Amino acid sequence: MIRSDIIRGHLDSIILRLILEKDRYGYEISKEISTRTDNRFQIKEATLYAVFQRLEKKELIESYFGKVSKGGKRKYYRITTLGKAYLKETVAEWEITKEIIDLFMEGLN
Amino acid sequence: MRKLNNHVQELFRDVPESEQKNAVMQEVMQNLEEKVWDLMEQGKGEEDAINKAIVDFGDIGDLKKELGIKTPAKKDHTKLNLGYSVWGSLLIISLFVFINFYYTPEIIWFVYPTFAVLWWPLTMYFKWQRSK
Repeated sequence: MIRSDIIRGHLDSIILRLILEKDRYGYEISKEISTRTDNRFQIKEATLYAVFQRLEKKELIESYFGKVSKGGKRKYYRITTLGKAYLKETVAEWEITKEIIDLFMEGLN
Repeated sequence: MRKLNNHVQELFRDVPESEQKNAVMQEVMQNLEEKVWDLMEQGKGEEDAINKAIVDFGDIGDLKKELGIKTPAKKDHTKLNLGYSVWGSLLIISLFVFINFYYTPEIIWFVYPTFAVLWWPLTMYFKWQRSK
């Protein structure tokens, strides 16, 4: 598994992206991340809930209770308009970051 | 599932009670249970599934921070202590000065106890400096 401290700074964006696609709940998000990355990156659930708290406090996402499933009511998250704007901004920022890092990481060997 | 519940309780033990805490705990429980069911559907035994869910969950240090546990910053009292020592020694010294000039004005002896007392604010001064 990849070192997670490099990804760590982008967890907010990753999770916002997943919630942007459709409203999701915690376990679904952690599963989705594992599937999409072929298990090369797995988010610790504890980290996930910390991100939820942070994003909700910043009003980038909001939560509501969904239907009852095994084990109780699922808590779903949806992205807010502010969240969408924030995500767009981080995407633009990432493009620039990528270009800068590539300047130094590419072309070796 | 009892074991799962116990584990979650244990994780959140030192988080101060709040509505937010209860909401998060409930959410965590719900998602963990769902994960356990999912793992069991994939053919794991219940014991196995629960253990995996617990291990995958990880450390909740970050989450605690979000829930507002601040490691209590040790308050710096050194400046206050210095102030106290200055005022205290001034009082003691003026007492000596008063006794000296009131009862034995022909011999100046108050400087000796003054030197002794001055060690107090001096010590406090350097403690304050070190803490900065």
